[in-house]
Amino acid sequence: MFREHAASMQSRPSSEAEQLIVRLLKRTMPFQVISEGMLQSVAAVSRPFSYRAGEVIYRAGDKADDVYVVVSGAVDHLLSDTPTTVERNRVMHSGDVFGWAAVLGQDKRVRLATATCVETAEVIRINGAALIERLNDDPATAKVVMSRFATMITREFGAPAAAAQIVAPNRTVSDAPAAVPRPRGHATGLALTLYRISRWLRSPKPFLMLLGFALFLGFWYLSVQVWKLPRFREMPGLTTVFHEWFSKNPTYGLSFYTPEYYQDIWVSVRRVGIAFFLATALGVPLGLFLGWSRTFREYVFPVFEMLRPIPVLAWVPLAILMFSGSETPVIFLTFLASFFATALNTMLGVESIDESYTRAADCLGASKMQVFRHVIVPGAMPYIFTGLQISVGVAWFSLVAAEMVSGQFGLGYVINTSYTMVRYPTIGIGMITLGAVGYVTSALVRIVGDSMMQWRVRELALGGR
Amino acid sequence: MLAPTPTASARGARTQGAICIKDVVKVYDPDRAAIMAVDHCTLDIAAGEICMIVGPSGCGKTTLLNAIAGFHSITSGEIYLDGELLCGPDKPMANPGPDRIVVFQNGALFPWKTNLENVAFGVVMQGKMRKKEAYEKARAMMADAGLSGTEHNYPGEVSSGLRRRVEIVRALMNDPKVLLFDEPYRALDSLTKSVMHEALLEIYYKNNVTIFFITHDLEEAIFLGHRLVIMTSRPCRPKQILDVDIPHPRDYSVLTTPRFRELMDQTIEAVHEEARKSFEAGEREG
Repeated sequence: MFREHAASMQSRPSSEAEQLIVRLLKRTMPFQVISEGMLQSVAAVSRPFSYRAGEVIYRAGDKADDVYVVVSGAVDHLLSDTPTTVERNRVMHSGDVFGWAAVLGQDKRVRLATATCVETAEVIRINGAALIERLNDDPATAKVVMSRFATMITREFGAPAAAAQIVAPNRTVSDAPAAVPRPRGHATGLALTLYRISRWLRSPKPFLMLLGFALFLGFWYLSVQVWKLPRFREMPGLTTVFHEWFSKNPTYGLSFYTPEYYQDIWVSVRRVGIAFFLATALGVPLGLFLGWSRTFREYVFPVFEMLRPIPVLAWVPLAILMFSGSETPVIFLTFLASFFATALNTMLGVESIDESYTRAADCLGASKMQVFRHVIVPGAMPYIFTGLQISVGVAWFSLVAAEMVSGQFGLGYVINTSYTMVRYPTIGIGMITLGAVGYVTSALVRIVGDSMMQWRVRELALGGR
Repeated sequence: MLAPTPTASARGARTQGAICIKDVVKVYDPDRAAIMAVDHCTLDIAAGEICMIVGPSGCGKTTLLNAIAGFHSITSGEIYLDGELLCGPDKPMANPGPDRIVVFQNGALFPWKTNLENVAFGVVMQGKMRKKEAYEKARAMMADAGLSGTEHNYPGEVSSGLRRRVEIVRALMNDPKVLLFDEPYRALDSLTKSVMHEALLEIYYKNNVTIFFITHDLEEAIFLGHRLVIMTSRPCRPKQILDVDIPHPRDYSVLTTPRFRELMDQTIEAVHEEARKSFEAGEREG
């Protein structure tokens, strides 16, 4: 780029010079078939330049604006390291065209090669965008010229696939120039996760997150303890809660330093864990069959849809009647809501699978069971994990409801008894802990999902998400 | 209307893959409004021929393809592959199988399998090869098609042009008799398309399978095909069959030959009338 300014630039070509350019273009591969009038139109957007021996015309990675045609002299064209190229190095002489990256789609106009002047060379430069604009006056000709460019690219790369890779429309990797070969090995899930975390830390996002928390806590503190707003006055204040939470000798018996705190967390996590596991183990297969077999669905889905809207709390009496003790009813209630969310999303996942995938599998000779195993299950996977995310959230939700009604220990139980026993700061501790633990479990589900669906993670990463 | 062409002798280099469509009718009957999609369609396609099916949008070309592939039933008529009945009066729906593989309009590589796993899928599922063996062959075939280096990428990570090539290689792994293309290059830009056309011909010259290719793009049709079958607007039936007497192997230079332009004019004339009819009938784009 910067070298171009060093080159001696001549004034705009006169019409005589334009005739010379027209004659030159007639000898080139892409332009030899187009009409005289069109050639003149192209010549009008061409500018002659000359370069001294040794001068670099452009480098790989530069932005590509112009297409070059050699008038005289010799230019060395060195492709950057791509495994698919036949010959990386080529010397261009009069009538040769290079710099075709300038006619590619907007986001692909990046040089893939370095062009160096070998002996003093006269070239003409044609602005790629202007060229395309002129060619568009006559779409039929444009098509032929573009096809010829494509053929030229194909030859340069030996394999048409490589050219297809360059010119294909939906490569949207903005920060990686097209046709730069991807690393061959897999980026493992862990490496990718670490990379994502480090990228996240370098972005402004962590600060925004901290700011969000600061605003929230600030509002809590000010509204309850400083301004004492009407509805907030009775709430446990920020400093009261945190003081109690970090106290070695808590007034109401629950803090970081008391074993009861951890016992409550453990009891709740265990209940959610068992319920979530059962809901997944039963809900995913049920959903898969509901989506897969029409007959099965006719039987089961209406019943399923009738049971699904019944709120967890309405199940409490039945749960207590059905199961003895205080532990099993709580797990059952927690399971119930989770189960419906998982099964429903899994079924939707199966329905979302494009018919052409199952048809393609049929064509390729897969049996019904193989289609299920290789198409239905992996195809529904994104929805299944969306369902599991929802399901784990719902599990916490119903756990607390269940613990409040029947149960001993657990965070929901703590919150409820703290209210009846007038231990208001402990309510705050219970709620914040619940939020944090819930967040962690939801993140775990996401991480497991990402590691099971590398194909999706990579696809989304390419889309810049 | 055209003299027998020299290309005709190049056809049939393969003895398998002749499709015979005999008097096929397909009536859709949603809500008791019988819609005739295919109307007494008769068409013979020689083994090893590239037969391009051209017609207005929504005319029922895909219905015909689906019947051959075994995705849809037919109402009456018969379809044979190498003299064997695929579907007929007693068996309205053909069984899909690896002798007739479809390359889909929007591509149907499994996004959750790597390109290599996709290519090896068919033979592994059919139990024809062990996994290791299949991967070896798949790797060799991909290398042959210029796809080295993309084996361990997922389809979502490579360009759409590349995906189409992988999909074609996936089909060829099974040594099919017929490849059925359902407008596979519709979504590609013209630059990629032209590269894909040459690549497809290259593959065809090596494998010489029968190709049943549905398209809207007349240039594509003439450039690739031995014959063009121009379909009437719905219901669909061959209106005119045009021999493309440009000898294979072809490359992009034929686009500028006068003969190509002539054929193009003939085709446009034939298609235009149908397109207008279908436009007036208010067929939806599709």
